[in-house]
Amino acid sequence: MTAYFIRRALLIVPTFLGITVLVFAITRVVPGGPIERMMLQAQQMQGREGGKVSGAAGESQRQPLSADQIQLLRAYYGFDKPVLVSYGQWLLKVLSGDLGMSTRYYEPVWLMICSRIPISLYFGLFSMVMVYGVCIPLGISKAVRHKSLYDNLTSAVVFTGYAIPGWVVGVLLLVLLASHWEVFPLGGLVSDDFDELPLIRKIADLLWHTALPLTAYMLGSFSVLTLLMKNSLMDNLSADYVRTAIAKGLSFKQAVFRHALRNSLIPVATTFGDNLSIILSGSFLIEKIFNINGMGLLGYESIIDRDYPVVMGILVISSLLFMIGNILSDLCVALVDPRVQFSSGR
Amino acid sequence: MTLSPLTRKKLQRFKSIKRGYYAFILFATLIVISLFAEILVNSRALAVHYQGRYFFPIYGAMIPGTTFGLDYPYETNYRELSRQFQIAGGADWVWMPPVPFNPLENDLQTDAYPPFPPSLKDRHFLGTDTSARDIVARLVYGFRIAIFFSLTLLVVNYLAGVTVGCAMGYWGGKFDLFFQRIIEIWSNIPFLYVIIIISSIVAPNFFLLILIMVFFGWTSLTWTLRTVTYKERAREYVLAAKALGASDFRIVFKHIIPNTVSVIVTYAPFSVSGGIVALTSLDYLGFGLAPPTPSWGELLQQGWDNMDAWWIVGSVIAAMVLTLILVTFIGEAVREAFDPKLHSTYE
Repeated sequence: MTAYFIRRALLIVPTFLGITVLVFAITRVVPGGPIERMMLQAQQMQGREGGKVSGAAGESQRQPLSADQIQLLRAYYGFDKPVLVSYGQWLLKVLSGDLGMSTRYYEPVWLMICSRIPISLYFGLFSMVMVYGVCIPLGISKAVRHKSLYDNLTSAVVFTGYAIPGWVVGVLLLVLLASHWEVFPLGGLVSDDFDELPLIRKIADLLWHTALPLTAYMLGSFSVLTLLMKNSLMDNLSADYVRTAIAKGLSFKQAVFRHALRNSLIPVATTFGDNLSIILSGSFLIEKIFNINGMGLLGYESIIDRDYPVVMGILVISSLLFMIGNILSDLCVALVDPRVQFSSGR
Repeated sequence: MTLSPLTRKKLQRFKSIKRGYYAFILFATLIVISLFAEILVNSRALAVHYQGRYFFPIYGAMIPGTTFGLDYPYETNYRELSRQFQIAGGADWVWMPPVPFNPLENDLQTDAYPPFPPSLKDRHFLGTDTSARDIVARLVYGFRIAIFFSLTLLVVNYLAGVTVGCAMGYWGGKFDLFFQRIIEIWSNIPFLYVIIIISSIVAPNFFLLILIMVFFGWTSLTWTLRTVTYKERAREYVLAAKALGASDFRIVFKHIIPNTVSVIVTYAPFSVSGGIVALTSLDYLGFGLAPPTPSWGELLQQGWDNMDAWWIVGSVIAAMVLTLILVTFIGEAVREAFDPKLHSTYE
């Protein structure tokens, strides 16, 4: 088993290379890169000045940068070399801990990402604790009281929660509670005068801004996990070994918690590793709606702006997290289910 | 086609779960109605009686205004025609659909700027959006597109996902590791990024968008199915089947897949609503189907931009909630019906 996980850890390397090579190659194909944007900016600036001169130099206006300048720019961004060569250079830089500079904000990518991580981490951890804390007990109690009034009522709530995706709820909450009734703020993480507030007010202000986005975040995974927990526990409750356990005189409670619950946590465990990437990368839709400057929004904006170094930097982090998360999922499965043999022997 | 007693029993069980069964009937009705949406929501008239002749303009080629004695050669404006006939009195009449607007036309007013609030008089039952297009029409046609998009996506995704996931779990070893790498690489390519690239070259249409989404979405089911198959493979019945000399093919299709159906089916409704939500999100961001395709995501975007126009956000969210809840109810009932084990409850 240990060998299996060591092998899995080593296999991160080829996967990581595969992902980054692919996306790196894509960034080369897309039109609208940093050079095009610079040329556009230069053109607009020239256009504004040239408007007064009334197009005296019509020919040079259409091409604001000279061929030499473009060549210099291409060299600066590494566009003059073949894809694999500049990928190699990029990779070496990444391995030495340098993710490069943003082509839009001219800031180190690593600093940009670091400034966003705490925000996403805050929401991720907060919602994860809430979700697991609610879902597992709720799923168990629903499975045990299957078909009762309690089960039906909570099912209706869970289904409604599932039916509407988190960001749509976010829009609804914003329109109702923030725009119409003005109970909650319209977005952002803290008020403008946050720095001047005393500590207690700071916490209150933060929580006040957190409430709506957190609700939106929780709704996403809340229902799926509850239903998964309920369904898998029900599968196990109807299994023969639970009947045997009860026939042998175990109380129902003991049968559920000692036997059925452990087995029914397996499907729940398969999803556990996913949390790692959700915690850190967040949801760009929710962050966009609530105007929260987390990792999700950074990734989205960098894609829209074609800010390649940031795109690649976020990709490096999110893909590593995703892969570690997958291994973590397998580890969880192995921990809760001793029957699982990951080794290749049949 | 004769149903096996087992399948009949499952269908019976499905019918006995009232909530899911009625949700299914309602949902199926909605889909059928949406197929004939042209009859209910359209700018063309259902029937026109003009100088003793009858016209049925809904399906078929457009009828130029000159046919009805109007002075323009382009498509007849039936709402205008209806008004003229009424003023003229006479035996001519126009029978309009309940919602006499199509999802693409702008019903502008001279003295105000859109969006217009709901109004029974103008027959904009849920108001109009910011371009003065009727919201009912946008919702109905948007529903039709979203639901067929999502169903197509589901079928293609599952074919790929179940095949690969089962194979990975069953054979394990090198095959498993190899596909794990492929899928990891696959699911890590930022999906939005690829969509943006493609929409910067061509505006994606229905099938292109499905193709892109399947290309990057088929992996979602493989992980779960792989884990389940791993679990099933370790069980005794597989060993027994193997000892009896069953081929791999037979074991996978006859023994393992039927035992994973409960899992596959549990995920199916989530996938249908997932497809609808994915399309809505993309449209919301502006990278989905090219405008002016009627879409819920685009309406949601308008609603977010114009929070005072509550009827936009209100109606689109209500429509989404209704659709997605129906799908989820159906899914839960299907799962209960197809789960080969009847859950015993202990007293």
